Amino acid sequence: MDILDQLGAVREGKLSRRKFTKGLLAAGVAMTTVPLPARRALAAEGDQATYFTWGGYDIPELFGPYQEKNGALPNFAIFGGSEEALTKMRGGFVVDVSHPCNQSMPRWVQTGLFQPIDTARVANWGDVIPELVDLPGNDPEAGKVWMAPFDWGQTSVTYRTDLVEIEGEESWDILWDERYSGRLGSLASGGDAWWCGAIKAGVDFASIDTPEAFDKIAAVMREQRPLIRLYTDDTTTLEQALSAGEMVASMTWNSSAVLLQAEGIPVKFAKPKEGALTWVCGVMIHKDAPNLDRAYDVIDSLLSVETGHFMINDWGYGHSNSKAFDQFDEETLAGLGLSKNPVEILNAGHFQQPQTQEWETRMNELFEQIKAGF
Amino acid sequence: MAETSLPKRRSAGAPPRAPASPLLRLLRRSESARGYLMMSPTLLIMTFGIVVPFFILLVISLWTRQGFGFDTTLTLANYGRSWTEPIYGALMLRSFWISGVATVATVLLCYPMAYYVAFHVHRNKMMWIILMTLPFWTSYLLRVFAWKVILGYEGVINSGLMSAGLIDAPLGFLLYSPTAVIITLAHAWAAFAILPLYVSLEKIDKSLLEAATDLGDGPMARFFRVTLPLSMPGVIAASFLIFIPTTGDYITPALLGGPDGAMIGNLIQLQFGAVNNWPMGATLSIVLMLWIAALALVFLLVTRKVQGRIT
Repeated sequence: MDILDQLGAVREGKLSRRKFTKGLLAAGVAMTTVPLPARRALAAEGDQATYFTWGGYDIPELFGPYQEKNGALPNFAIFGGSEEALTKMRGGFVVDVSHPCNQSMPRWVQTGLFQPIDTARVANWGDVIPELVDLPGNDPEAGKVWMAPFDWGQTSVTYRTDLVEIEGEESWDILWDERYSGRLGSLASGGDAWWCGAIKAGVDFASIDTPEAFDKIAAVMREQRPLIRLYTDDTTTLEQALSAGEMVASMTWNSSAVLLQAEGIPVKFAKPKEGALTWVCGVMIHKDAPNLDRAYDVIDSLLSVETGHFMINDWGYGHSNSKAFDQFDEETLAGLGLSKNPVEILNAGHFQQPQTQEWETRMNELFEQIKAGF
Repeated sequence: MAETSLPKRRSAGAPPRAPASPLLRLLRRSESARGYLMMSPTLLIMTFGIVVPFFILLVISLWTRQGFGFDTTLTLANYGRSWTEPIYGALMLRSFWISGVATVATVLLCYPMAYYVAFHVHRNKMMWIILMTLPFWTSYLLRVFAWKVILGYEGVINSGLMSAGLIDAPLGFLLYSPTAVIITLAHAWAAFAILPLYVSLEKIDKSLLEAATDLGDGPMARFFRVTLPLSMPGVIAASFLIFIPTTGDYITPALLGGPDGAMIGNLIQLQFGAVNNWPMGATLSIVLMLWIAALALVFLLVTRKVQGRIT
């Protein structure tokens, strides 16, 4: 029963129901069996480390050294916010390496789901900028750290210079400007948005855990909500919307602005007069990491000069390897809002501070309600 | 039975060779036990796949959150909250409204298609049905993304209208709105309406239609007095098949709904994710289930009544 014969039968209207079903069955069998060898090939490289990270970090450019050594990319699992990631791992999802930020690191440690990183096993450790390691709560024992710093940067406003009118200095007010109602975007995770709301509301981060702070921030978030077209953690969606002009401004990380500028879209990453939100993110190893050796390979790869160069050049993020900055002159770095001395940048903005689990839960609950319109 | 009783009689005098296990004896004696044995694979899956998880859900919904863990004293506090706090009721209502509109739209759009195949296609009906359901062989997620492309700011509809000179600026309300969710659901679930509608229309005895014509009914009267009432089982089945799963749909509102198009499924997901309140998530799932059951019952009773009046 060859295909031409079948097609002929169809054309002449002679194909009986039984024959047709038979043909379908054959097609189905063919479809399920053909990819078998391909699947087996994939399974052969199976035992790679699993890296649980923010959307966008699942690209080969960050894993050159890892690929060289292990012949394949690590496996990726993606989250949109670090609280979501922690909930998943607490629910029993085991990975090798995950990617929290300084603000949530102490809470991650408290869950007992992570093991200290032995810095002697990280080849690039000597070049890591010490100020980024020296974070509150990052000292389990001598020679070990909970979190190996990887990237640092800012959360601020990316806006279309041709579509947004700036009077005076750049400010967070762009995202609260009623003239652009329905054309503003925001990151969906409270881990970014709530803190930016605190900056806008003039709440000092030292007192962010007070009822007054909650009221003040909730008020500005509620004020902003009707103006927002979309809350999302998918940076690609925000970037596409900005490039199409669907949105004129959005809360983003450094990378969105740099990527859009590289595409020739007239955007700018604002330096708000109130200050941007600054953060350091890093990697932690799960206590039951099934591929511990390769987990260290992931860390080494992320901390390498090669990866750092890509992070700075293509995404505009700060990197934790001091040598990664060597290939850039001061002017380029300043243009990206970076510096060889990260402390300068981090302290110029509002640096996120660790909070209790109660605060985190309450904040997320309230912010989700506000986003839903309550 | 005669054959099995024969060896028994023979061994009546001598001591029994090996006592049959009580289980085997039960199987031999009772017909219903044999029936349950045959159903046991299904029953096992039902028990471990549906009944046990449901029971777990029920128990968790009676707990409360305490930091990262649970306070396991049983309480109805979560049910109280789901009743008193406006956000839960509002999202529940919005979900029913969105999926209700989507259900009506799907059934209305699919009825003519099913009708055409059932009454006006005489050869290769199977082929027609397969062709109609062909779009549904692609992944649900892909179909949702396809609608994102169609409804988007620079999407097919907007650029089409703009190049036709009908609008000056793209229509923003097409995407990230309840409208977008309704349109997508109505398309994504069409296969689930076409098939039951087709089956119920196909079953209608054509001689009834001829009789109606002979007795003086025009095409319209014939449709409303014969075809529609007789196809009601299909309409009801299609409505249920679409309304029940779409009410709790997660991915469509998450991708296309925007802030105003969020549905109860998204809220439940958040409880198990960022908000980290599993007991509340369990409660909402159960409340949703109860509401759907109640609405389905009402719908069923109303259609019964209406149908009874027509026929």
